[in-house]
Amino acid sequence: MVRVSRKLRKWTATILDLPQDVVLDLPRITMIGGLQVTVENHRGILHFSPDNLRLAMDNGEMEVTGQNLIIRNIGAEEVFVEGNILGVQLRAKGKPPG
Amino acid sequence: MKGSWVAMLRGYVWVKLIGGEPESFLNAATKEGISLWNISFTKSGELNFGVSVPDFFKLKPLLRLNGSRTRILSKHGLPFRMERLSRRKTFAVGMIVFVAALFILSTFIWNVKVEGNSAIPEEKILQAAKAEGIYSMQWSFRMQDAASLSQRLALRLPDAAWVGVDKRGTSITITVIDSTKPDKKPLEGPRHLVAKTDAVITRIVAESGRPKVERNDRVRKGDVLISGIIGDETNFKTVVSKGKVMGLVWHEYRIASPLATKTKNFTGVSQDRKYLIIGNRALQISGYKGEEYGSSLTRTSVQRTRLWNRMLPFGTMTEHELEVTEIESELTPTEAKEAGLAQARAEIKVKWGQDATIKAENILHEHTENGKVMLTVLFEVEQSIEMERPIG
Repeated sequence: MVRVSRKLRKWTATILDLPQDVVLDLPRITMIGGLQVTVENHRGILHFSPDNLRLAMDNGEMEVTGQNLIIRNIGAEEVFVEGNILGVQLRAKGKPPG
Repeated sequence: MKGSWVAMLRGYVWVKLIGGEPESFLNAATKEGISLWNISFTKSGELNFGVSVPDFFKLKPLLRLNGSRTRILSKHGLPFRMERLSRRKTFAVGMIVFVAALFILSTFIWNVKVEGNSAIPEEKILQAAKAEGIYSMQWSFRMQDAASLSQRLALRLPDAAWVGVDKRGTSITITVIDSTKPDKKPLEGPRHLVAKTDAVITRIVAESGRPKVERNDRVRKGDVLISGIIGDETNFKTVVSKGKVMGLVWHEYRIASPLATKTKNFTGVSQDRKYLIIGNRALQISGYKGEEYGSSLTRTSVQRTRLWNRMLPFGTMTEHELEVTEIESELTPTEAKEAGLAQARAEIKVKWGQDATIKAENILHEHTENGKVMLTVLFEVEQSIEMERPIG
């Protein structure tokens, strides 16, 4: 059932030329240089340390690496991270990291 | 969130998390809709974050589940500041006293102003206002409303046509408009109108009183023209006689009119000199090459510099010197006679009023002597001859 509705939504998005993140509830990541990252549609924090932040997503997880990371603001939908960001990595569910 | 005025208003705290899993705590907090900000690790590996005061209390059950505690590092915002202030009693009292004093003082009338250039003296208006309860340092509540006040004030000031009372905050403006009154007539007692000089009556118009003479009557100085006593010998009444009496009067004039006249004339030659004024000294700066005139007229104008309304002790002075010559003109005896007569006619008009008309003029005697024409002229003048004389 979920798969059918997912396909339908994807098809609608293609036909109507809509941005995929709006229709498919995908995370939207906005990055400003190496200073700020805003992640919308996250599903919670998996790990947080000054040089590593892992966020859960619908189908996988996202890792932000850097130095002196600070979560400026956290809400149910979005995280706003500041610091010296060195990398952003996305991992699909089930696949081993790396 | 930090620094925004909403956070300041609600108050926020910087908190250190001790023990437990930071990740699961953060997830639980976001699930509850508690917003945390500036989440960071200290060097010793403790989680620091900021949270608003209402949210801080919502964190309590989450902390218990997570098995961790918090320590407040610092408190910010209005609630904490208010709490600190409330500990200073005198400060709070002072604030209340200030507001109370401001309020109480604003309920007083501070100044009463009188407007409208009225003939009624200001002291009298203020006195009347005081009697109605309008005076400075009066308590506002004890005063009636402006409409009834102005009405009652108008009753106290019968000379005023309209009185307006306008209350603006702590000041009251009383506007007084005078009623226009007819000019007061001077007090007049019963009187006669008598002849000023010997004359022959040409016209007599009596407004009140009884005319005693008729046209073409000859009157002597002091004769009653219009009597102020009306009625017969037994029943009479004295009145203020009024009227107009014209009569022919003879005036004899002796005129001496000179044959030679001197007139001063400008030759049209002039020169300017400029001076610089410092204090009460003048320094000439131009017009040194001017020539000396035999006789001259000098017009001086001084321009002082002004700074706003104040005179400064500096300025310039301009002297305009005009050359004057005296022209002597010789008149013929006829011209001199005409000039003399014209002057005499002007004198009559001035002396006996504009309604005096010259009916005839007779030259009785005329001779020329010592460069002068001597004339004796008899003018027959029609003029008003009445004069007031009080009865009794």
